[in-house]
Amino acid sequence: MRPCAPILFLLLALAATPARAAHTEAQLILSADTARPGDTILAGVDLKMEPGWHTYWKNPGDSGQATEIKWTLPPGVTAGEIQWPLPKKLPPAEVTTYGYEDEVVLLVPLTIAPNFSGKEMDLQANVAWLECKDVCIPANQTVTAQINIGAETKTSGNAALLESWKKKVPQAAAIFSFQANWENAGTNDLRPLIIQGQQIVSYFIPLIAPDFFPEASDNFEVQPATETITADHSEIRLRKFVKKFSGDWPRQISGVVVIAGVGYEINRLPIGDPAPAGGMISSTANQPQTVSQSLWRMLIFAFIGGLILNIMPCVLPVIALKILGFVSEARSKPRRVRQLGLIYALGVLISFLVLAAIVIGVKSAGHHAGWGMQFGSPIFIVCLTTLVTLVALNLFGVFEVTLAGRALDTAGELASKHGAAGAFFNGVLATTLATPCTAPFLAPALGFAFAQSSSVIILIFLTVGLGLASPYILLSWNPAWLKFLPKPGAWMEKFKIAMGFPMLATVIWLYAVAASSYGKNVLWLGIFLVIVALAAWIFGEFFQRGRTRRGTAFVLVCILLAAGYAFALEKELNWRTVMPVANAGSLKESADGIDWQPWSPEAVAQARAAGKIVLVDFTADWCLTCQVNKKTSIEISSVRKKIKDLNVVALLADDTHTPENIAVELNRYNRAGVPLVLVYPKKADAPPMVLPEVLTPGIVLDALDRAAK
Amino acid sequence: MKKNLVLIAAMMVATAAFAVEIGQPAPDFTGTDINGKTIKLSDYKGKIVVIESYNSDCPFCHNHYASGAMQDLQKNLAAKDVVWLLVDSVNTKNFSYRTPAQAQKEWADLKIAATAWIDDHSGDIGHLYGMKTTPHCFVIAADGTLVYDGAIDNRPSPFGDPRTAKNYVRAAVDELLAGKPVTVTQTKPYGCGVHYAN
Repeated sequence: MRPCAPILFLLLALAATPARAAHTEAQLILSADTARPGDTILAGVDLKMEPGWHTYWKNPGDSGQATEIKWTLPPGVTAGEIQWPLPKKLPPAEVTTYGYEDEVVLLVPLTIAPNFSGKEMDLQANVAWLECKDVCIPANQTVTAQINIGAETKTSGNAALLESWKKKVPQAAAIFSFQANWENAGTNDLRPLIIQGQQIVSYFIPLIAPDFFPEASDNFEVQPATETITADHSEIRLRKFVKKFSGDWPRQISGVVVIAGVGYEINRLPIGDPAPAGGMISSTANQPQTVSQSLWRMLIFAFIGGLILNIMPCVLPVIALKILGFVSEARSKPRRVRQLGLIYALGVLISFLVLAAIVIGVKSAGHHAGWGMQFGSPIFIVCLTTLVTLVALNLFGVFEVTLAGRALDTAGELASKHGAAGAFFNGVLATTLATPCTAPFLAPALGFAFAQSSSVIILIFLTVGLGLASPYILLSWNPAWLKFLPKPGAWMEKFKIAMGFPMLATVIWLYAVAASSYGKNVLWLGIFLVIVALAAWIFGEFFQRGRTRRGTAFVLVCILLAAGYAFALEKELNWRTVMPVANAGSLKESADGIDWQPWSPEAVAQARAAGKIVLVDFTADWCLTCQVNKKTSIEISSVRKKIKDLNVVALLADDTHTPENIAVELNRYNRAGVPLVLVYPKKADAPPMVLPEVLTPGIVLDALDRAAK
Repeated sequence: MKKNLVLIAAMMVATAAFAVEIGQPAPDFTGTDINGKTIKLSDYKGKIVVIESYNSDCPFCHNHYASGAMQDLQKNLAAKDVVWLLVDSVNTKNFSYRTPAQAQKEWADLKIAATAWIDDHSGDIGHLYGMKTTPHCFVIAADGTLVYDGAIDNRPSPFGDPRTAKNYVRAAVDELLAGKPVTVTQTKPYGCGVHYAN
């Protein structure tokens, strides 16, 4: 304390008095100028630190000391406990502390007795803190403020400031449910603790930068290093190490869970026993109760995820088909509409059952299964490209799909074309095209499913299918909702043709995916598609709509297809053999692009050992979400610059051809498929940050900045 | 699963790498004291050794010395043939770094009664023992095993008389001398963070 401080107090005794210590300024502020007897007002000790200096939280951490406030209050006024705003974790890592830089307002509720008499009163507090920069200095100041007592409460000019700090005080979490359990028995005095938080209500907040700030204890210490095992849209899972000084291991834990910069207080959360098998990811899933709880949650996620799939870019073209279907069905008998809605749903569900069966089969064969893994198979891509080309040609009216084999050419008859078979086909197509996309909600549900038993996989997959089909089932059930759609008419033919173009776009996308497997030879796939298109035209024009020589036309179609297949696909494209993909050197996309290097666990370890920040993008050509992320949030100038400035090692893990170790890595982060973007901090033992599925430039830049600290 | 276990094992090692363990041999070290003398921990085998992480600019340390309590304890234990080593891990760029000459003056001014003041500005010894704060203290039994790791006492304050506190170092040494097992073996060290070199 400066010697002149007491004189300063005398001079300014009755006003709110700023008192100055070496590097921190303390001031007492109140939420009200006038209070009534019986009121509780908020007092704040405002500490302003000079740049570089900090004071401490209630648990100072490895060193330091918590600020103390000793009140001198008139009789009838009582002070509550200090409410501490969320502190920052302050480096260096070897001596990590929890504290405040620049400014903090420590809040204390003051309660005035109902029988308090008097017109005004003086409040006084002695504030003792330790301020540190390169050195630590204990400081001790007395601050005062005055408040009037009257019949009416009058807020002060500081009320808003106090309120803004009050918002930074961690509260009990309403939107998260937290659990804690020992991961294993650890050593004599060091044990890993898993803290887990699941988001209950709001979903779209990315759960970034999770951490846990413990309350101080004499008998044990929760070490400052935090390993993030999971941080996605639904759940965080942290590993902390607890060092025991004396006595038994703690049975409960208190502190603040920090998620995306907001603190959530946990108070005496019971610590569960280690899971018997010592599993890391499934440690809590081994407990039956938790499984049933999380299964329910995951089923809900699966349903919502399926619903959202409808608007993901992969499925959008199918929506065109559905719109058309609805327009033509709108005036049909409700029973028929319902029937078609159900058949569509059936198509979706059966496709999902097939997918589930494939996943179970792949898993039981000892391989790692992934969502969208069939897109890694070039054969599948070729078949799908051909199929979607045919759908586009069909929409253009080149040929028709009918059971009778004869064309129907009036708009009024269009409805029957979208009969049962059409509806079923739409369902299958929607599902097939949906698989390369994961959506919010879907990722955690599938990540969960892929690690579970066969019955759970089937259940989750069917639920996703139900979600995907649900809007159409609902609409079919209430055809009245369709009345805003225009009347069927000649326009439908034009609309149908227009809808062929999104399908063509899908063809181009699939073609580009195929290019990554076949290289320049993909040309022959294009030629095959042209032959197929020609065959489709002959089929439609001369077989379906023709009057004469229909037999000749049909034979010609067969010859064209057979020749196209034998020559283009088999001979030239050699479509069942895939060229090995070059896997070394820079994968740079353009001259000023990010200098991507191929990913491998060794490459990560090597870069981290060199003290570098590592960005890993798990991606695939067929993954539209990945491509969108790349265009909007990764291969952009601000991120490129940041990567250059921070000397970040960028590694690209291309899942297009599903290498096993990528699947293993994805599973480790509870993901069933790409996208997955990881940022490994500079500090070599810090865990990677898992970025959300859908990125913004802000998320990426922020993660890189944090990694540099 | 196997991979996970390996990961966990690696983390445990990482976390424990810099820390010493109670009941285990205290790791040996060699340092240079402020008079240029080489100090080797293993040379003191057969004697009880107290190690104190030292920085008198830290108000917590400062209070122990300004009140004379620390020197009293040092004298008291020296009479019982206990070795007391100050380890100063402050980096050379920090305000609190002392050149040998400054340290010799401080030793005289404060009437420090320890065995030696080791200049550990590289932080090697501090890191080896996982010294978090000043004053973080360690007690090593005559057979070389570590018996205490933690705070000097139960009074984390930069003010007042430390003699009123329960001194864990004194208690551990007294128990060792009486041939009893040490009761309190670990506590949370308090004080200022050690100003290690980056």
